[in-house]
Amino acid sequence: MNVVYVPVIGLEIHVQLSTATKIFCSCSTDYIGAEPNSNVCPVCLGLPGTLPVLNKKAVELGVKGGLALSCQIRSHTVFHRKNYFYPDLPKAYQISQYDLPLAEGGQIFITGDDGKQKKIRITRLHLEEDAGKLVHSASDGRLEGAAFSCVDYNRGGVPLAEIVSEPDMASPREARDYVARIRQIVRYIGISDGDMENGSLRVDANISIQKTDGETGEILYWGERSEIKNMNSMRAVERALEYEIRRQEAVLRQGGTLDRETRHWNDSDGITASMRSKEAANDYRYFPDPDLPPIEVTGSMLQEIQFSLPEMPWAREERFTVQYGLSREDAVFLAESAALADFFEGCVGGGASPLRASNWVRTEVLRVMNEQGLPVGEFPVAPSSLGELVAMVDRGKLSTTVAREVFGLMAGGKTLADSLTAAGASSGGLSEEAVAQMAQKVLQANPDVVDEILSGRDTKGKKTKFLLGLVMKESRGQAAADAAARILEKLLNDRR
Amino acid sequence: MEINSLTAAEIAGGIAEKKFSASEVFSSCMEAVHRGEPDISALITVAEETGQAAAREIDRRIAGGEKPGPLAGVPIVMKDNMCIRGLPATCGSRMLHGWIPPYDAAVAELLSGAGAVFAGKANMDEFAMGGSTEFSAFGPTSNPWDLERVPGGSSGGSAAAVAAGYVPVSLGSDTGGSIRQPASFCGLYGLKPTYGLVSRWGLVAFASSLDQIGPFARTVEDLALLLSVIARPDPRDGTSSRRERPDYTACVKNPSLKGKKVAVVKEFGAMSASVSPEVREALEKTLSLCREEGAEIVEVSLPVSLEFGLPCYYILAPAEASSNLARFDGVRYGLSSKEDSLLELYLRTRGKGFGSEVKRRILTGTYVLSSGYYDAYYLTAQKVRSLMKEEFRRAFGSCDLIALPTSPTPAFKKGELVNDPIQMYLADVFTLPVNLAELPALSLNAGFTSGKKPLPLGVQLIASRWGEPELLNAAAVLERRLGIAGTAPCTKNGKGGRS
Repeated sequence: MNVVYVPVIGLEIHVQLSTATKIFCSCSTDYIGAEPNSNVCPVCLGLPGTLPVLNKKAVELGVKGGLALSCQIRSHTVFHRKNYFYPDLPKAYQISQYDLPLAEGGQIFITGDDGKQKKIRITRLHLEEDAGKLVHSASDGRLEGAAFSCVDYNRGGVPLAEIVSEPDMASPREARDYVARIRQIVRYIGISDGDMENGSLRVDANISIQKTDGETGEILYWGERSEIKNMNSMRAVERALEYEIRRQEAVLRQGGTLDRETRHWNDSDGITASMRSKEAANDYRYFPDPDLPPIEVTGSMLQEIQFSLPEMPWAREERFTVQYGLSREDAVFLAESAALADFFEGCVGGGASPLRASNWVRTEVLRVMNEQGLPVGEFPVAPSSLGELVAMVDRGKLSTTVAREVFGLMAGGKTLADSLTAAGASSGGLSEEAVAQMAQKVLQANPDVVDEILSGRDTKGKKTKFLLGLVMKESRGQAAADAAARILEKLLNDRR
Repeated sequence: MEINSLTAAEIAGGIAEKKFSASEVFSSCMEAVHRGEPDISALITVAEETGQAAAREIDRRIAGGEKPGPLAGVPIVMKDNMCIRGLPATCGSRMLHGWIPPYDAAVAELLSGAGAVFAGKANMDEFAMGGSTEFSAFGPTSNPWDLERVPGGSSGGSAAAVAAGYVPVSLGSDTGGSIRQPASFCGLYGLKPTYGLVSRWGLVAFASSLDQIGPFARTVEDLALLLSVIARPDPRDGTSSRRERPDYTACVKNPSLKGKKVAVVKEFGAMSASVSPEVREALEKTLSLCREEGAEIVEVSLPVSLEFGLPCYYILAPAEASSNLARFDGVRYGLSSKEDSLLELYLRTRGKGFGSEVKRRILTGTYVLSSGYYDAYYLTAQKVRSLMKEEFRRAFGSCDLIALPTSPTPAFKKGELVNDPIQMYLADVFTLPVNLAELPALSLNAGFTSGKKPLPLGVQLIASRWGEPELLNAAAVLERRLGIAGTAPCTKNGKGGRS
């Protein structure tokens, strides 16, 4: 029998919602770079006698996320208390959701390992509060070996949406693609910056291995799952899962058994290590938080949020191929972020042909963006201006070379008109007269080439092209090539 | 001047009319405190300096022609589980040792906004768990009517401070009877408002879905006056009702029971054997006064509430408490045991910081929420609670008020029940259902035991949700018949009996 080991992967993704204030108090959520414990108040410090009051915006963003993931939104949803002791949790319970989450039963599509679209089911999306941050005194920042630890509660109370998937992924690559899709979605709909490095998007993975019969697909044995934490980048997700698959598979191949446990990914060593086993697992004693009345999501609120949803990335990819005739690859590339896709469409709106606009955005715009280290939203050239410029190239009014030069000036902050003047190009390019003068000059300087052509020996047109090149060179590239060719041909004919 | 004989309304009126100053009133209050405290121990913190400064400020404002509010210059005591910025809030526990709240409770803001002057923070059963004030880390409070006896609890200090004549009014909190029972033991009016009427912002939580703050007073007028100040909607408390509040002081102006239906509870008959005869007589007397005042006496049935209210309460309240009190872990404030590991820090801090009754309830609460037990206990109790709400709703379809004893007995002796938690819990049987059903209820003094040291006897009136006007109206009618509750005789401040 041909035994095949099949990984089964499900992900829990915590996304910090981009509200201005925390989920249960009015402290700022902008804690990056803030003095420790400066964005705190009696509520998020959990001082005795304080009470949480729900930030409505967090619910709206949660609903928006749920809808984008095609979930059902509960009209009646409840916050629960998840009770456990840890110094980063000032009330010793986290306000979270339990059996009545905000959103359930959704799905998204990723590219499966076979290259086809693959459906990943979303179990639920629920709201909860973030915990504070422990800073350990040990040199490596880990708890082990630390003489003392400090707590920073600035992050405590920042709203989180926890997105739980079904165990529908079969490889680290699929898991990575899923994370990328979720990140893209939360950014598209503007509910989070989705930044893994800053911790505003955090991934925990549940992974187990099925031992199956390669011919029939029958499951012969299903190993216990482990939960992997502390994967702080897309690469880390992929590496940690690759490691964990090797580890679990090796255990099963040797006939061993796996315990259900939580494992910590150590990025520098490239291994996972056991944190705690199931036996030591907390009993969180969930119960409805009596301080917070149930949340009612009304039909009108739902409708309003539904209407506020932008076109989703997959729909936009599809539309770009159909409406603009872009290749699937280019469409996916341009629709990666809403801002880039908007920029591209702004270009087309400015008059550029879609194919050339796509080309320009993917090469020139991204090159300058990378050079200047700017996000698309802060790009100095308005997409419509770039569209006008590209349209001149489309119409043969400007050579690509000149257009690039003009674009460079625009990226430096000049307007389109000023850039055209500075590059010595009018918006209409060089006049026909000027080109004719240059061509005349070229013909006079190369009488033997002219003779060759006129005598009919230039059967392949090579000599004519040589002359055209000289004309273009004379015009420092400012002549439109097709116009120059036409003028040159006319002058040569005049001499026949 | 002896302020212990004046009501809050009289003090505020006298100060406004410049008959006396707020500073004079406060000095007189402090004299009474210093005379009484060696015997009574009602206060954990005496706010002499801050109170004097606040009283002077009231005088300065009055001299400047301002009208500082309906409680201008009235000295007041708050239970020590409510925060006043800058004063310790101990909750009667070692656990909060050294903690000074950096913010005001909503009621503290409202009271000082109305011109009241804080005289001190009152003793209480630790974290409001208990019915005798014996479970305070600061020692027990004595009942001003008989120093051998308890003042009730958990708001025993607040009740004793009013009964001993330190102040005309005080605030307590009521989770299962903690205002009404001490009011009954100390011969006062005590009101537990409808859940959501008074903001819980700044009240250190015991059981969040049951806790309400309410007033103690010696007159119905004062009770209404205090309620009208503290019953305000508060956006900081998600459970605070936004509904408009009536003028409670108007409810006591022309009170009448004509045409009202006052109900006795059918199931009480079978339970009355466990109720002391004097308490039963006080209830009978109250009902006959109601009848004489034109009320019709009817009967309602509350089988679920009277049979299952107690077990239901002793599941839900500890469950919430076990979570509410988890934050006392020694990491951020209060007691912190210096240990080598995090686990030891938790264990020793909580081991030393909490008293036996608090530990008992945390353990009970942790147990009933544990996986595998949640459905059998917590969930079942929630279902029972829903049934009780429905049962009361139906009962109030056929009556305006329900009359029950507040406590099955008058004040018991110190040490009598302290080692018998079950008996202590059973004493709450008539008060707990009110909290579970989120209703308002009032305890009034309806007479005294006979004997050398007469003890106050309390009767409880329960109304439907937001029925505070109904309660105040009835209490005002009965006050005309029963006389005004006086201060207690057993102290150097007390006059004894009724005026």
